[in-house]
Parts: sequence; structure tokens; C-alpha cells
Amino acid sequence: MKSSRYLPLFLVLFIVAIGVYSPASAQEKVLREALKASDIRSLDPHYGTTTIDYACIDPMFNALVRFKPVDVNPELIEPDLAERWERSKDGLVWTFYLRKGVKFHKGYGELTSEDVKFSLEKAANKATSGFASDYAALSKVEALDKYTVRLTFKNPIPSVLGILSNYHGGYIVSKKAVEEKKDNFKFDPIGTGPFMLKEYVPKEKVVEVRHPDFFRGKPKLDQVEFWFMPDASSREMAFRKGEIDIVEGEREQAWVKKMRDIPGTAIEIFGPGETLVLHFNMTKKPLDDIRVRRAICHAINIKELMTFLGPDVTEPLVSVIPMSYLGGTNKVPTYAFSPETAKKLLAEAGFSKGLDLSMVITEMSDYRRPMEQVQEQLRRAGINLKMDVITHTAFHEQIRKDVNPLVLYVAARFPVADTFLTHFFESKSIVGTPTAITNFSHYNKIDDLIAKARVEVDPKKQKELWAEAQMKIIEDAAAFPLCTTKFVFSRKIYVDLGYELRSTLNLSPPIAWTTDIRKK
Amino acid sequence: MIKYTIRRMILVLPTLWAVVTFVFFLIRVVPGGPAVAALGSYATAESIRELEKKMGLDRPILVQYGSFLKDLCRGDLGKSLITNKPISSEIRKALPYTLDLTLGGMLIGIVLGVPIGIMTALKRNQAPDYIGRILSLVGISMPEFYLGILLMYLFAIKLNLFPVLGGGNFNVLSSRLYYLVLPAFTLGIIMTAFISRMVRSSMLNVLREDYVRTAKAKGLRERVVIYKHALRNALIPTVTVIGIYMSILMGGSVLTEIIFSRPGLGKMMVFAVKDRDYIALQSVIIVFSAFVFLFNLLTDILYSIIDPRIEYR
Repeated sequence: MKSSRYLPLFLVLFIVAIGVYSPASAQEKVLREALKASDIRSLDPHYGTTTIDYACIDPMFNALVRFKPVDVNPELIEPDLAERWERSKDGLVWTFYLRKGVKFHKGYGELTSEDVKFSLEKAANKATSGFASDYAALSKVEALDKYTVRLTFKNPIPSVLGILSNYHGGYIVSKKAVEEKKDNFKFDPIGTGPFMLKEYVPKEKVVEVRHPDFFRGKPKLDQVEFWFMPDASSREMAFRKGEIDIVEGEREQAWVKKMRDIPGTAIEIFGPGETLVLHFNMTKKPLDDIRVRRAICHAINIKELMTFLGPDVTEPLVSVIPMSYLGGTNKVPTYAFSPETAKKLLAEAGFSKGLDLSMVITEMSDYRRPMEQVQEQLRRAGINLKMDVITHTAFHEQIRKDVNPLVLYVAARFPVADTFLTHFFESKSIVGTPTAITNFSHYNKIDDLIAKARVEVDPKKQKELWAEAQMKIIEDAAAFPLCTTKFVFSRKIYVDLGYELRSTLNLSPPIAWTTDIRKK
Repeated sequence: MIKYTIRRMILVLPTLWAVVTFVFFLIRVVPGGPAVAALGSYATAESIRELEKKMGLDRPILVQYGSFLKDLCRGDLGKSLITNKPISSEIRKALPYTLDLTLGGMLIGIVLGVPIGIMTALKRNQAPDYIGRILSLVGISMPEFYLGILLMYLFAIKLNLFPVLGGGNFNVLSSRLYYLVLPAFTLGIIMTAFISRMVRSSMLNVLREDYVRTAKAKGLRERVVIYKHALRNALIPTVTVIGIYMSILMGGSVLTEIIFSRPGLGKMMVFAVKDRDYIALQSVIIVFSAFVFLFNLLTDILYSIIDPRIEYR
């Protein structure tokens, strides 16, 4: 029993020890960002596909050209590692002149044309890249001298600069580092960006530190930490407490409203957002009947859906490609909300007593919430849609096995019409085929238009061809655009991004060399 | 006793093999694969096949099983299909955090739960008993994630006493404890509720026993009767429950790890399921199973310490 006398003393000491402990209040400028993720997939830019991957990869790498940090307009792409470039009249040969003196991280030397050649060949190889199909038209990369690279294409493509930009396969990696690190490069990457990898802690965070030799100037932040925080409440708490400076939000009106009420908080709502499109499987009964597909389109009340999802976080989507994308149009037929028309069309198709459909949907709220709303709207028009909720990974597998008669797909792609049309509506992309991507409708009626637009050198004619293709898709009711949801983040007002964010393919606010913390 | 321990340790091998085999085949039956998870929504059918080949998932399942067992016998847990890092190093990093959390939670549960249990038993049907029982009911009913967020809101946001992010610097004890307090209390409060109820009910049974009455009749002090005679006997079922809860606590730490953004094995296991990272999942389950076995063995050994009449043959 004597020892019990020391128990209060021990407790007091414990509390004092904890009380006096405070994490190193460093003088350094450290920015902490929390993202809705459990872990990264890869820090090799040629494999990264998730928001957290993009967020961590972008500050570490550069490309020959780049989107302006404020906007993803492909018509405003500007030089990055390349100082300038020339293109042949037929658009098949492109010559890039590199900046001199650009340094890779951690003493991996100066960037040369050999690194560019190696990087682009790596990006185009399906054994070393997840985006090889984007480079199918690239036939040859030549290093003409230390600072000059020539690219030759088999045929003209809609946006050469797009596939060479700071997105997916366009990032330039260190040849020496990839060859040296092999598979480990995936989690120990070397680039030329303003920040370099310090530490990757699986399931917890990625820490990047300033690259002192960054070619645009000395980055203003000392360190950036990307935390993986799948739980929304935890992210919010950490942000409220000030342990996190930038936080990924929920794309919900309620979340935006709640965060706006926190003093010292700025809300960033930006594009290009993700398109919510319903794809109808035209090979499955009863959706092989256009009257049924059109009935579904008429039964959906877009206005109500957007109100439900939140006016601040949604934007109308008239065609299957947003207007802000190169080649996007709003000159397509529309299906006015009319449950009566829907019922009439169903009756004509032989479903006067209503229609039963069943599908799987992912647990992810970005998909599940809008689809539950659509489910209710369809019910009002006599269409009973049974939905089984499954995990996101299983969902992706199941929809590629044609399990669903209709697929809600939420997508952000390179902002050029060709990418959307190729991925979702070209016959070679039909799911279940060896070259499948994401053509869930099994649509095959615009291949010629896609092919013509792809090689068309006159931008005006090219846009017309893309517009015609979109018109056909909507006319045939192969897919039905619902709306676009924008990305939502909160940041502390002392965080200065260094640019005014309008849209980014990063899907999160890019951390640039100009990003700064004014005062905590 | 040593013989018994060795026998138990040998018996764990077939148990581990059965668990691992079950998980090996079960996870592969579930729709969705690691290649789909790793490549994301841009994946073409061709690139998925390519990555599956690279991961060795194109081989017949029995061949995969055979090579998995072979590697396991050599002590090689393999590399994560998603991160490509050796699983053993990931486990080495995550395990101490989970053990901290489990032991911390259990310690709080015992330190608070045992006295509350004794007090509520001694003051049966009086105010302290009612209060203790109501509080323990609240503790049992309270979901872990909800309690965690409540504690976080109160002690981190409002009172600004503790952090909410991460597990701290593992090599600095004060940092480790500082980051452990709220997560450990999240689990500890729930454990307190379970343990106090168990102790109360055991104590009530023991207090009715003849030897307790005899001890009192002999004129022994109340304190001696309670702590030396009654509590020691009441602890045997409590130790059983603590042993079982240690295993449950360890596996169930996942929510606390996610809420407080702490590294840990539970989180690793859940994300491995989500990403269909077969190798990571199998390995984590082996570790969990080994700990379940260890906790059970320790419980058995503790019995003989608490009650020397218990013998193992």
C-alpha cells in the first residue's frame, strides 16, 4: 500500500510533463494541407491518379510547358522547362529549346534533353506509365543537343502542348534517378520542382522541403506537409485548431456554410470541377430502346439536383463536356424536366406500368448522394431503381464488367474535348474490350467525327466537329449530363497561395514557389 | 508451466496457418483488385492487365498461395502491392503506435475501471452505484468515433490542451505521450465502462461467499477483507475479460487511429482491404493473430499468479 502514496505525485508529474510539452514551435514556414485520402498511390508522376497524388507530385516536378497556376485554359499554356518551341506546318514535328541551368533535386545534376527524352519515352510506355495511351501518336523523341529536343508525331493530335504540360505523363523526371532507384522511384522521386521529398510516412503524410536551386526563385515556404485524413470531422477539427492550414472540404453547401463561419477562414471553390454524367448502356435491355433512355432524361430534375447538392458547389452542365473546356459546347438538344413526357415515352416503349432497374453504386458520397437524388426523381416517374452500395474499388471493377444498365460517372479529365470523347464515347474504349477505357454506353456512332477532329489543324473546324459529336451523343441519349461539381477547400487567411485560383487540374490548390505563410 | 507455454506456442502455428489461408482466399473472392485500385479511374483494360502481371496476380491462385507460404516460412512477408515497400518495415513503423494506443487505453480502463467497479459493488443500490452504472452504460453505448470527436472538441479545440493530428515524434517520450492522451482516453473511457461492470458483478458474487463472511467474522479490517480476500478472487474473471478486450482493443483501434490521424496497424489493415492490397492485409492479419495468441497466453499465465491453486499441465 506504500506505493499508493506516490501515485498522486506520479500523476502530477505526468500532467506537468504533458503540460510543458509543446511541439517544436519552429521558426520555419511550414504549410500543412489535409486531404481526403488514406494514402498516396504513387509519387512517380507517370502513375499518380488521385487528388492526393496530384497534390504531392505537382510541387516536385515541372514539364516542358505548364498551365498558368490560376487557370487550366489549354489555350493559355506557357513555357516551363522549355524556353520556347517551334512546330512544323503539318503539326507533326515539334522542337523544344530547354532552359539552361535547371537543377534536379538532391544533386542529381542539370536537366538536359536526355532527361526529357527519357521522361517522354517512359510516359509513352505502358510498362512504365499509367498514361501511355495519351502518347499513342508520339513516334519519336530525339535529343538534338544538350538543350534541344525534337518530337515527331505519327499524326496531328488536338493538344500537343497539353500532353507535354504539368499533368500526368508530361512531367519530366531525372533519368539518372529513375535508372538508379528503379521501383523505389515511385516513393523517392527526383524532379526539378520548388519542393523536394523529405519523407513519406505510409498512411500518414508526405513531407516536402524547399528546393534551394529551384530555377524560378527561392520558394517562400520551408516545408510543406500533405496529411492523409479520410475522416471529414478530423480534418475539420485539425483546421479549427490551426494544426492544418489548408483542408479539403466536402462538396456540400452545408460544409461551405459551416466553414465560412470560422473566423480567419477563406473558402476556395474552384474548377474545372468534375462532371456528373449518366451513361446509358445501349446494349442492355430495356436501355437499348431510345424511348426508355429519353424517358429517364425527362424524369430527372437537374435544378432540384443542383439545389440539393448546393448552389455554391455546382455548375450547370449542358453537354457531356463542360463549356469551359476546349471544344465544349452548349449547342446541344436538351431534355426538359417532364415526368409526364417520361411516363408517355415509357408507355410507348411498353412500360406503362413502370420500369424496374437495378445497379451498383459506390459508397463514395460524390457518387452516392447525387444518385440517391436521381433515384428518388426516377421513382416519381414510375422508374424503380434498386441500388446496391459497394466499395469504390469494387464499383470500378463492376462497372467495367457491364453490371450496370446505367452508370453515374464523376470525372475530371484533361480539358480538351478529344479526351472526353475518346475515353467515354469512342468505340475502342467500350468496356469489356481489350482497349477499353470508360465507354460505358457502348456508343460507336461518332468515331469518324472524333478521328476527323483529332487531325484537323483548323481550330474553328475542329471545334465544329467536336460540337457535332456532342450533339449526336445527346440526340441518341447515349449519356445524360447532370451537372458539374466544383472543388472545395478552406484555407487560413494567412496562407497566401501566391496566385488567384480559378481552376486547376491538380484538383487541390497547387503549392507554388510563391505560396507563403504571412503570419500565424 | 514452461511445458504448457511451449505446447501453446506450437499450437499457434496451425491456427495462424488457418487464419491466413482463410484470408488469402477470401480477399481474392471480393470484387475489385489492387491493379484497379492502384491505377484509378483512368485505367485502360490493357494497363490493368499489365500491372496485374507485374504484381504476379496473373498466376493461378494456387501458385500464388504456394509462393506466399514459401516466403512466409522464410520470414518474408513480401512487398505491398500498392506502395511496393517491404511490409515488414511498414509494420515495424505502425505497430509501436498501435501498441501504445492499446496499452494506454487498457491502462486507463484498468486504473479507472477497477476502483469504480469496487466502489459500485460496495455501495450497491446507493447513489455511487447508480451513478457508476449509468456512466458505464453511457460509456458502453458511446461509439468510439463519437467519443473521440467529443474529446477532441473539448480538450483540443475549446481548451487547447492537446493536439489532434498525428502520433507525435516516436523517439521523444514526452511527444509520444502528449499525442497519446486523447486517443488513449477515447479507448480508455470505453474500457473503463466494460471493466467497471465486470469488476462490480464479480465483486458482488465474491462478497456473498462464505470465506468473505468468515474473514469479516474473524474481525479483519474491511480494507483487508476487500483487497486481500474479495478482490483477488474477483479479479480472475476480470483478467479473462481484459485478455479478450486487449485483442478487441487492438483490432478495434482503427477508428481512433483514423480520427486522430495516427499511424497504426488497424488503419493499415482497413486501407489494405480498401485497396485490395492482399499482401499487406495478409501480413497485418498474421501480426494481429499473433498478438491475440500472446494476449491469451499472458491471461492464462496471470491466472496462476492471481490464484496459485491453478496449475497447468
